[in-house]
Parts: sequence; structure tokens; C-alpha cells
Amino acid sequence: MTLEAIVAIIASGLVSGSLYALMASGLSLVWGTVRMFNFAHGALVMIGAYAGWYISNRGGLAKVLQPLGKSITANSEDWGLLGDLLHPLGEWILSIKGGFGLLAGVPLAIIFCGIAGYVIYMLLVKPFVGKPGADLVVIITTIAGASFLQNAVQVLFGPRYKQLDRILKGPPVEVLDTAIGLQEVLIIVLTPVSLLLLNLFLKRSKLGLAIRAVAQNDDFARLVGINVNQIYPLTFVVSSMLAGLAGLMLGGLFFILPTMGSEPLLRAFVVVVFGGLGSLPGTIIGAYVIGLIEQSSAYVFSLYWAPVVLFATLILVLIFRPRGLMGGENS
Amino acid sequence: MLFQVEDLVSGYGKIDVVRSLSLHVDEGEHVGLFGPNGHGKTTLLRTISGLIPVNSGKIFFRGEDITGLDPRKIVEHGLIHVPQGNQLFPEMSVQENLTLGAYVARTTKGKTSNFEKVFTLFPRLKERRSQRAQTLSGGERQMLSIGVGLMGMPELLILDEPSVGLAPLIKEELARAIGEIATSGVTMIVVDQDVELLLGICQRLYLIEKGAVSLETADVSQVDQAEILEMYFGKVTE
Repeated sequence: MTLEAIVAIIASGLVSGSLYALMASGLSLVWGTVRMFNFAHGALVMIGAYAGWYISNRGGLAKVLQPLGKSITANSEDWGLLGDLLHPLGEWILSIKGGFGLLAGVPLAIIFCGIAGYVIYMLLVKPFVGKPGADLVVIITTIAGASFLQNAVQVLFGPRYKQLDRILKGPPVEVLDTAIGLQEVLIIVLTPVSLLLLNLFLKRSKLGLAIRAVAQNDDFARLVGINVNQIYPLTFVVSSMLAGLAGLMLGGLFFILPTMGSEPLLRAFVVVVFGGLGSLPGTIIGAYVIGLIEQSSAYVFSLYWAPVVLFATLILVLIFRPRGLMGGENS
Repeated sequence: MLFQVEDLVSGYGKIDVVRSLSLHVDEGEHVGLFGPNGHGKTTLLRTISGLIPVNSGKIFFRGEDITGLDPRKIVEHGLIHVPQGNQLFPEMSVQENLTLGAYVARTTKGKTSNFEKVFTLFPRLKERRSQRAQTLSGGERQMLSIGVGLMGMPELLILDEPSVGLAPLIKEELARAIGEIATSGVTMIVVDQDVELLLGICQRLYLIEKGAVSLETADVSQVDQAEILEMYFGKVTE
């Protein structure tokens, strides 16, 4: 194996690892706190990508608004004072026909995903919390929700694949004679930063502390006065925002399509089990390990053998550590 | 009267564990509950703090009906329940556990001075403030449980089996600390198997059997220990 190949494997391993880490940490957070798996998590990744595209791209929201802008600028003279006020708005709409750009698209898409996560919790999870068999029921309701979202997006946006603009434009970076795309570099750098922010939120903020408290001992959390019914949806919101971020990264690398979240979701489940259910550090380490295993086995054997190697490793780890890499007694 | 439970019935599912239980606690008073295991003491406390729904009966705090309130609302009233058996946030540090004890808005003002109070009462917790709760010894965990309760600025502090499973020396240390909390003027309900511990702290005792109060001592200072033991175990016949 050449040095070039090793660098390439590590780079692509880190890229997949980053995406899995973002997705799996959200899954793990929800599992740790609400004790449920959100099977709509992959759909949220997809929603993040579509929302980002819709806001940033010229073919999205900007295009839809153009007729409105045209009619405002054309007719505002007849509307008197109101027209004078609306005229600049019309001009502005016409001026952004190239799309709102990623600067608006990325944060708004992440916020949108947070809202979507809240709605998913309220509609598909909350009605069953505390009822017998809730964990199984929620698997079904969230799968149904994911399927609904995928088909809704298909109807709304059509079957044509979309792609996000590259955030950084320019030639690839050379690392030890190996070219790595700027988008990839951005993902590799941005993911640890986001995970660090997540960690700060969980360790330093009052609400983050409350999320961890509910995850570790929900009865005791109630006894110190934490409103558990508020923490559950909050966890969904945070987890969905992470999914949205993963979607935005994925959408800059590959095509955006309604089922884009399904495959990574499966991997993210493997990561969560591999790293230890509910353990955030385990999940993050697991994500990178699995990304690297996947990419190196794809290179050494072939793309089709990568899942085989991956699941063989998972089985081996579970034989020797049934609770996953870092799963403790409380997980 | 600070706190009153009237004909309380509660339990798990269709099974009533607490069966028409009534008791009361006056301001500044320290009341002990004792009785055999599995007769509803812990269920009573969990019902009082809102973890278990009330099937019938009423709970009053400062004359206000708090029956069926959310645990959070009950904590906001200053009714703090320190549960049995080292209930803590195991993967958090001592400091973080105590911080969470002062979660509700009412307690944020006194947080710094309450930290001081807890650390003076339990110097060991100060030494181990950055250590994770699950790495503490049994006695230290119990101290932390009580510390978390004190961070909630209790108007009524409910301790469930604080001495259970502890070595005699630690038990003594803990009993001394609970005594100090009591003399500082905090109203308390203490549940424990160790009647001696209760006698050292409390002015009145309730014996709880089959989910109800089966005996009440009017004034502990006028009953001697043999009588209490008799209440507990029945008359010794030769």
C-alpha cells in the first residue's frame, strides 16, 4: 500500500467517521435520555439537506419568490403608501434570484431540523411515553414518520437529484502528495468543533446538565425539580439539529435524494451499539473507528466487502464487550 | 401545621400499598417513621413527592392542597425528598450533583452559601468535589444524597433510610450530621429501620404497618426504648 493510498483512506475514513459521529451522537443522546430509538433520524438528515438546498439554491425558495417580487415591483405604484413600503421588498426579492446562499441556508436548515425534531417528538413519541411497550410502538411510529417525510419530499421536490453548493471553493488541499477536497477538509475540521460545542452544552449549561441528569437517573432528576417532560423534546431538538448538520455535510458531498438518510442511519445504529448504548464518548470514538474500518476494507477488499468486515468487527466487539466499547453498567 | 397527609391511598397499578394513611408534621418538628420492610414507607414518600399518583386522600403543605402536583411543583414548594439507596447522578461529579440539587429557581439565590453549608457539614464531599458520584463509598454517597437535598433549600426535608447498609462508624457520623441539620431548624421526616437513630433526632414517631399508621408516640422523651421496641416487635412473652 502506498503512502498516498494510506492518506486517502484516512481522509475518507475521517469523513465518514465525522458523518457517523454527528448522526450517532444524536441517536445516542435520545436513547440515553428518552430510552427510545428514533428511526426518523435518517429522514431528519435528509430534511436538513433539502432545507439547506431550498434556502441556499437559486432553484429553491428564491425561484418560488420571483413572481411575487415581479408583481410587487410592477404594481407597487398603484398601491399608494403601502406600495412605497413594499417596493424595496420587491426589489430585494428580485435581487436574490441567485438563492439566499449557504450563509443563510446552513443555520436556517439546522433550525428547521430542530423544529422538525420537536414536531416528530410531539406527534410520534410523546403520546406513547410512559405507556407499556412504548419503545416498540415508537419504533413503528418513527419508521412511519420517516416514510411519510421521504414521500412528502419526493412529491414536493420531484425525483431530480439536488446538490448543495460547495461552501469552500478552490483547489484540493495537498497532504503528503495526496489531494483532499476542500469539502472533505471542512467536514473533518468542523465535526470535532460541533461535537466540542455539544459537549460544552451538556457539561456547562443548566439545560445540558438537566439532559444528562435525566439520562443517568430520571427519578432523581424529578426529585430535584427537573421537568422531564420538557427535557425529552429538548433532547429531540438537539439531536435533530445534529442530524441536520450531518445532512448539510452529506448534501455537499453527494446527491440529495429522499432516501439519502437511510444508509447512514443504519451505520449510525451500528456505531451506537459498537460504542456502547448511551455513551457519548464511546459513540464518537466508535464512529471514527467504523468510518476507518469501512474505508480501509473498501480499499483493501472491495466496496461490497466493506459491510462484511464492518459487521464482523461489530460481532467480535460484542462477543468480548457485550455493552459495546465504552458501555458502562448504567448504559 | 406545616404538613399534613389525610387518608392517603396510593400504590402501583391496581395494588394499593399505602392504605388510608394520615400523619402530620408541625413547623420545626422532626418526625420519625419506622416499621417493617414492605409496608409502604417508601411508597408513601414517593407519593408525597409526586412520583406516584394519589389514588385518594389529600396532602397539604402550609395549608395548600398539593395532592397530585407534579414533582417539580412540589420541589418548588420546598418539599425535598432524599430517596433511599444512594439515588444520585452516578456519572456526574460531586459538584455537578450538588449543582443539580439547586435546579429550581427558588434555590439559585442561595446557591453559593448552600454549597458552603453542605461542605462544612460534610467536609469529605469538599475533598471529593470533582470525583464522580459512582466512585464514592456508600457513606459518602449517602452524604451526597443529603447534600443534594440541602441544596434544594428544604422547608421540609424527607430522608428515606439514610443509615441503611452503612458501617457503624459512618452511621454515627451521618447521624451526627442529620442531628445538626435538625438543630439548625429544618423540619424533617426521617424514615429509618434504626429506631435508636430516630430517637436521637425526632420528637415524635409513627409506626407504619400494612400501609397505615398503627401507632403514634406522643412525645419521644416520655417513652423509653424498650416500649418502642415492644411496639415494633410485639410483647416479649417468656
